[in-house]
Amino acid sequence: MQSTSSEGKTAPASTEKEYAIQPPFSRWAVKFGMSPTEWDILFLSTAFKLLLFPAYRSTDFEVHRNWLAITHSLPISQWYYDTTSEWTLDYPPFFAYFEKILSIPAYIIDPRMVDLNNLNYSAWSVIAYQRTTVIVTELVLGAVLLRFVRGATDPSMQRLISASLFLHPGFLIVDHIHFQYNGFMFGILLFSVLMARNGNKLASGFLFAVLLNFKHIYMYLAPAYFVYLLRAFCMSPQGSILPTRFLSLANAVIIVFVVSLGPFLIMGQIPQLLSRLFPFTRGLNHAYWAPNFWALLTAADRVLLQYVKRFGGEISVNASGVASTSRGLVGDTVFAVLPNIKPVHTFAITVTCQSIFLVKLWRAPNYRSFLTALTLCGYTSFMFGWHVHEKAILLVLVPLSLLAAENYAYFRTFTIASTAGVVSLFPLLFTPAEQAVEVVYSILWAAVTFVPLNRRLYEFPRSLQAVIVGWAENLYLAGFIGLQLFVTVFPILTRELAGDGAEKSWEFLPLMLTSLYCAVGLVWAYLRLAALYLMQ
Amino acid sequence: MDEAESHLVASGSSKHQRLRTTSLASQSSSRHRPRTSSHLVRPSSTNSDRHEIVAPIPLRHSALQPSPDRWARSPSPASSRAISPSSSHVGHPPSHKYRLSFSAIAEGEGQGGGQGGAPVEERGGMGKRWVRWMFKNGMREWVVPSALLASALVKWCTGLGSYSGQSTPPMFGDYEAQRHWMELTNHLPLRQWYTYDLQYWGLDYPPLTAYHSWLCGFIGSHVNPAWFALNDSRGFESITSKIFMRTTVLASDYLIYIPALWMFTRIWHAGRSRRTQNLALLTLLFQPALLLIDFGHFQYNSVMLGFTILAINCFIAGYDLVGAVFFTLSLGFKQMALYYAPAVGSYLIGKCVYLGPKEGVQLFLRLAVVTTASFTLLFLPFLPPFAPISAILDPITRIFPFARGIFEDKVANFWCASNVVVKWNHWASRAALVRLSTLFTVIGFLGAAIAPIRAWLRLRGEAGALEGGVPPVIQPVLLHALLNSSISFFLFSFQVHEKTILLPLMPLTLLLSGAPEESTTFKLGVLANNVGVFSMWPLLRRDGQAVPYIALSLLWNRLIGHNPFRVRNASILEIFTLLVYSACASLHLLELVYAPPARYPDLFPVLNVLISTPIFVLLWLWSIKSIIQARWAVGGLTFGEVRERKESLNDRADSEQVEDGVNSAATGWRAPGLAHGLGRRRTASRATSVAGND
Repeated sequence: MQSTSSEGKTAPASTEKEYAIQPPFSRWAVKFGMSPTEWDILFLSTAFKLLLFPAYRSTDFEVHRNWLAITHSLPISQWYYDTTSEWTLDYPPFFAYFEKILSIPAYIIDPRMVDLNNLNYSAWSVIAYQRTTVIVTELVLGAVLLRFVRGATDPSMQRLISASLFLHPGFLIVDHIHFQYNGFMFGILLFSVLMARNGNKLASGFLFAVLLNFKHIYMYLAPAYFVYLLRAFCMSPQGSILPTRFLSLANAVIIVFVVSLGPFLIMGQIPQLLSRLFPFTRGLNHAYWAPNFWALLTAADRVLLQYVKRFGGEISVNASGVASTSRGLVGDTVFAVLPNIKPVHTFAITVTCQSIFLVKLWRAPNYRSFLTALTLCGYTSFMFGWHVHEKAILLVLVPLSLLAAENYAYFRTFTIASTAGVVSLFPLLFTPAEQAVEVVYSILWAAVTFVPLNRRLYEFPRSLQAVIVGWAENLYLAGFIGLQLFVTVFPILTRELAGDGAEKSWEFLPLMLTSLYCAVGLVWAYLRLAALYLMQ
Repeated sequence: MDEAESHLVASGSSKHQRLRTTSLASQSSSRHRPRTSSHLVRPSSTNSDRHEIVAPIPLRHSALQPSPDRWARSPSPASSRAISPSSSHVGHPPSHKYRLSFSAIAEGEGQGGGQGGAPVEERGGMGKRWVRWMFKNGMREWVVPSALLASALVKWCTGLGSYSGQSTPPMFGDYEAQRHWMELTNHLPLRQWYTYDLQYWGLDYPPLTAYHSWLCGFIGSHVNPAWFALNDSRGFESITSKIFMRTTVLASDYLIYIPALWMFTRIWHAGRSRRTQNLALLTLLFQPALLLIDFGHFQYNSVMLGFTILAINCFIAGYDLVGAVFFTLSLGFKQMALYYAPAVGSYLIGKCVYLGPKEGVQLFLRLAVVTTASFTLLFLPFLPPFAPISAILDPITRIFPFARGIFEDKVANFWCASNVVVKWNHWASRAALVRLSTLFTVIGFLGAAIAPIRAWLRLRGEAGALEGGVPPVIQPVLLHALLNSSISFFLFSFQVHEKTILLPLMPLTLLLSGAPEESTTFKLGVLANNVGVFSMWPLLRRDGQAVPYIALSLLWNRLIGHNPFRVRNASILEIFTLLVYSACASLHLLELVYAPPARYPDLFPVLNVLISTPIFVLLWLWSIKSIIQARWAVGGLTFGEVRERKESLNDRADSEQVEDGVNSAATGWRAPGLAHGLGRRRTASRATSVAGND
């Protein structure tokens, strides 16, 4: 304990000295311990994000503005009861506190921003303010990624990965255009992972508990944390429990939860809070099918239904399933031919799959194994979860990026998952101007991430199967060009050929195709990663 | 606790531990990386990387090798640096692709003189580091495509914001003007283009703009006829139509301006490394002033500038007739290209004179025919067989409106700035002001009108100087003349708009691309560019372009590596730059905090003008100074038989003469002289080799 933590502390100090002896860095730069290249990335990304201020914003923008208003104008006892706007507060308390802090400068800048009844307020002040808060809070992510470089085994490789994460198109699309605070949250997650890498597991657990109280979607990752901390922190390698450590970890986590939930516990609002956080009234698929296992299954059901309709057959067809062609309605997806899926089923499958990886983690509780298991936990939840949103793919892509430099096999997995994952986020933006931005930006990002990594990590295939699989994967990746062309051209063609109305009725086809094509890649990458993890 | 930890280390995370030790080792090795990186790169570096190498300086081809006793004959220590043993080796061995350019020779000169400067690693901005990184990672072929894609992305994102006159009926702004022209050219017969409802954004650009509008409108009408319906579409605003309009700007930009820039970096910087050429391209691609006006405010200036740059490229490469056509197209797109006309005209006339009575007259006649033919073609629909003779007057009167005031809005030129003290409009009649401004303008661009001719004249008698393109000495004269004439027009001519600063900024940015960071060209170029953007602030603020204004300025300055806060060992110009920026920043702050007093509603624009104008005057003075220097560089040569014998002494003589005459900056104007010396020696050696073959 002593040795590792002191090592973790000396690392930044030595890097500072590293810059102190370098004339190239001005005194200002030394203060932050950043090299000119790192400043470059910060400048570049900030300038670019500033340009995106007037870009399209989803309803999430108004959601967050409303939360600013709620936390600013109402007492804490009414935060989770207010229904002035339809966008009620449904994040855990830390996020509410975070909004409360943000609302203070907001009030100074423009009081109308935090007016509860000023719904859909979209003046320049509120746009500029909220967009700026996203950029500023994302610096947490940047700072953590820098710390990743400082103590890395291969700093140049880690710098590449850190840069690719900081400039990730996922963050650009979801945070800076669509509008959310994922950069900030993933900053905390990666901080926790960094602590695990540096051997400070208590801090890691503490930070993860904090993160959970910011946004509960990170519960997808909780099993890996639980197993890892229990095995590697609370138990000796021989398997005996270390009570002091267990208690310190338990205390740390309890303190976090008390700070977060305490006020609501005292007020007796916990049931109300939980009902806001976990609304169980949604369907299997989101409006746009998230590219997971269920998307493939739903598609298979649709294909089977057509088959049954055409050729009859002895299969009973569920009438309500025929009606529910899941045309973008949030509601229950009912299968027509295949047996129906209930939340319990998805839960069971998720837990079963996760437990396989967790057993492996229990046996090999080291940092790398933990990171892979963490990724796989998130991945499993994404693959089999109930009502998964496509944005949740970030839960997979972010930790997976940290694994990309392990070896060529991991890098290939990373390439396929990232490409499919980023493309699956494209339908999040449907205005043509922003679609052009996301596509071009992603191409640039892919070029400066994949090419140098590939150059450094490339391994010659050792068997015929590897060659064939490599070819198939390349073919799949090349297919994205065709997919994107189709998605772009199809709406124009349908309108040209069949008039304006047709565009609407065929709207689902490009979406469905994107979802399915990405699902294929993501399922394959999932299997790849699982195999890599379990066989190593 | 410690016991448990040791167990952990022993079994569970032994691998982890091993990794950590290697991490420490690699960390210590990486500590030295920045300093040694140039040594690490060297083995893999190829011909094109040459300028990155700090030492030793590559060998010169024996044909260019100076005589061994050259440095010993140097008269005084003060000027010995230019011809010291080390700097005398600076040069570029000729390769098959090698073409002599001014830029390449100036660079070699700069390196020799810059020994006292800061380490090479410190210098350079984001662009340099990025290009270097791309080369290191085996992505050299990706640099230009990614740069083009990135600039398209930045331009597109600039266009996400509002444009000139968005949602401001009844007149809207420049965006509506352009859209309206697309509407009227598509629906009206050609004869009415310049006469239809002039009160509502009548067409006031030459025919090429009209044809361009017609084409855009033609395509747009196929997408959605409502965007360009006659009269009904006035003030039409929708998300899709805006996207279409922005796309037309981007497409025009990528069809004309970007190829022109690319060609420029390959022609003007011929003989320099691919990295430097790419860096120059980056510098030009992200120039904030043009980005803000074309993609934010909404105009098609890049087309006009692109045609002019294409003309420059052709002139430098020696294709004068093609160049003349391109310049005519530039004039035919926007009459503002006339600001360049004195320089271009003088350059071409100079070349005719240089070529002598036979060839010169031939070239002159050809130029005259080609130019007239292109103009005739452009105006063909308004000329007799197709229209009555009076029809030509419609476009002409629209293109040259002398019926307006001496300056329209607040613009950072001489008239508007001095108007604070001298109320010109009360003091003189409009006719007098027109005459006065014309007089001032002519005096302003005298240098640009005379220098190219005289430079060519001085080259007379040098047989074969034209072999292998235009001599490198002439190249900077052309660009400086363009700068001088356009800045004179901007400062002194009648009816200038603040956006017109784009015209002087174009040759200035061309000059600054690839210029060493210690050179005055670079420093002043960056300052003028930034102040140019600042001078358009009132306009940009009206358009809602405040955020792109900040973002693009930051991005570009970071890209080229301009850091005004580097105050250690700062020169006077650098300190002055910092002061100017402080003044700009204070004005912005003031504007943010205080509302202007009711008595002076235009207080901030006027202050803006008062800050910007001195910089532009300084730029004008500098352009005069540098054009004289550039011409001296040509002129400081001895002629006659003496040349043959004292050849090795010649370029030293050049450099000394120039240095004595002007207290030049580190890179100095020795470069053109040397350039000329090299160029001439090269042609001489080529001549002998040809003779040998015979």
